[in-house]
Amino acid sequence: MKILGLEKFFSGRKGWLWGLFGLFMLALAVLPLFASGFWLRTLTLIFLLAAMAEGWNYIGGYTGYAAFGNVAFFGIGAYGTALAMLRLHFSFFPALLVGVAAAMLFAIVIGLPVLRLKGHYFAIATVALATAVGEVADYWTDFTGGSAGLTLPFFDPIEYSGQFFYYISFLLVIFGLWLTYFVMKGKMGYSWVAVREDEDAAKMMGINTTWAKVSAFALSALMAGAAGAIYGYWNTFVLPEEVFKIDYTLQMILSTVLGGPGTILGPFIGAFLYYILITLLVFFFHVGAFHETILGVIIILVMVFTPQGLMDFLSGKKKLTLSSLLENIRTHKV
Amino acid sequence: MEREIILKAQNVSKHFGGLAAVNEVSMDIFRGEILGLIGPNGAGKTTFVNVITGMLPITGGRVFFKDRDITGWPAYKIGRTGIARTFQIVKPFRGMTVRENVAVGAMFGHNGHKHSTKTALKKADEVLDFVGMGHLKERHADELTLPYLKRLELAKALAMEPELLFLDEVMAGLNPKEIESAMELVKRVNQQGITILVIEHVMKAIAGITDRVFVLNFGAELAQGTPEEVLNHPQVIKAYLGEKFVERQKRKQTMRDA
Repeated sequence: MKILGLEKFFSGRKGWLWGLFGLFMLALAVLPLFASGFWLRTLTLIFLLAAMAEGWNYIGGYTGYAAFGNVAFFGIGAYGTALAMLRLHFSFFPALLVGVAAAMLFAIVIGLPVLRLKGHYFAIATVALATAVGEVADYWTDFTGGSAGLTLPFFDPIEYSGQFFYYISFLLVIFGLWLTYFVMKGKMGYSWVAVREDEDAAKMMGINTTWAKVSAFALSALMAGAAGAIYGYWNTFVLPEEVFKIDYTLQMILSTVLGGPGTILGPFIGAFLYYILITLLVFFFHVGAFHETILGVIIILVMVFTPQGLMDFLSGKKKLTLSSLLENIRTHKV
Repeated sequence: MEREIILKAQNVSKHFGGLAAVNEVSMDIFRGEILGLIGPNGAGKTTFVNVITGMLPITGGRVFFKDRDITGWPAYKIGRTGIARTFQIVKPFRGMTVRENVAVGAMFGHNGHKHSTKTALKKADEVLDFVGMGHLKERHADELTLPYLKRLELAKALAMEPELLFLDEVMAGLNPKEIESAMELVKRVNQQGITILVIEHVMKAIAGITDRVFVLNFGAELAQGTPEEVLNHPQVIKAYLGEKFVERQKRKQTMRDA
């Protein structure tokens, strides 16, 4: 099925890729037995990014709404968890649920009006909202601790802290993959893609488009909120300028676009690609912000030549040749 | 015998600012019939359908479907209640296969609550075979040519298992042979018990398949009746072909009579 972008990926011809993917996941599962703290930290970061990208993929990839404010969910997840632990003295997991619920509730309340906007207007509104929420966290000192932030208790026992956050992020990523698969093979998945392809036709065919969009937005908040909750506890403090950084939104969008929007594995693979890319760039061009310029150029090239991300080539839908790259320019009129 | 009215439009109006695109139009559609809706370009045919189906908010008047007031209902609710439509400018879901496109109709349409994705896909296969697109099931919608895209529109609407179907220019842009087979198909759909309203510019099709014709001009009713009555109605000819044409026809007629 095209919607899943997986048929060829899982079919016999590409079976070796499937096997490779399985081995990769297995390697990730046993890695903490061998690897050092540095690798665990790096991979935990990648997992959190992948989880957020999986979430962004729901609204941006499958439903086709360019949400530029998903960091708000990340921040609300982090703050919700922190406040539940500090004020209500919850332990981490119930607190995580509080953070996720807060992020989802926010997505629903905000999504109902904002998802009526389309295209650029929606993108701008989401950027504005994310900024506004960050400002609230910054200035509502009594409740959020203001710009001093909130300090969380350490994970106990501390010597297993690295492993704990590694595995919980890894589980979140796997949950995200499962959730994508589960949603996309059901009616909700069809309604999302129908909205992306033609909202009027979707409406006329009996799809409650408002609900379709809000559900995609809320589930993307679930993923980003959970990532924020884990990040906050891992960091042991949450600061407004840290958890509401617009960079995170860009990172999740870039990961999704690099890997392939509207595919199950795209955002996950994209998060690794993004991280490798940024590491190489910092390594080779460590002069000031120059690596960001190079990153910008690479993003433009990716958007021009492979607007469907690398999943197109990985899944065997297209061959990686010059002509297929040029064809993309023509079909997407860039 | 009293015929059942499946859809009743009462003084339906749609204004865009000061412009009355549809002005106080009343129309009854009887169960089981094929009703033609014709009129010159800009007469308000598509706008009328858009208002009835909830795609555009209504300015005035009421709409009843099976005696139920559906005025102001959102489009998706109208779709679920048993009214389906096609779009003049085709609206395929390009990222999906033909089969998935049609399955969406089954999933969310009139009997959507009874369908799982699995049974919906099965329904899609049936419908595609019915409209003669069975061999294109696994193709992507963006690979289809216009005649098939038009047919896909119809398949998507049929998968919704509607009682009333609006066909908005499903034959525009087709060649005579394709029109022939499209007419055949519309008749077959009607024989399944689906009431149809066709908006069409192809007069041959109107004359060939409709039981009754309704003419709109400048957003208002101009005439209604059997196809022969309406197509020979002087007002209708005037609206389509202009005053001079009518006069010339008259002159020819008197010369022939003399």
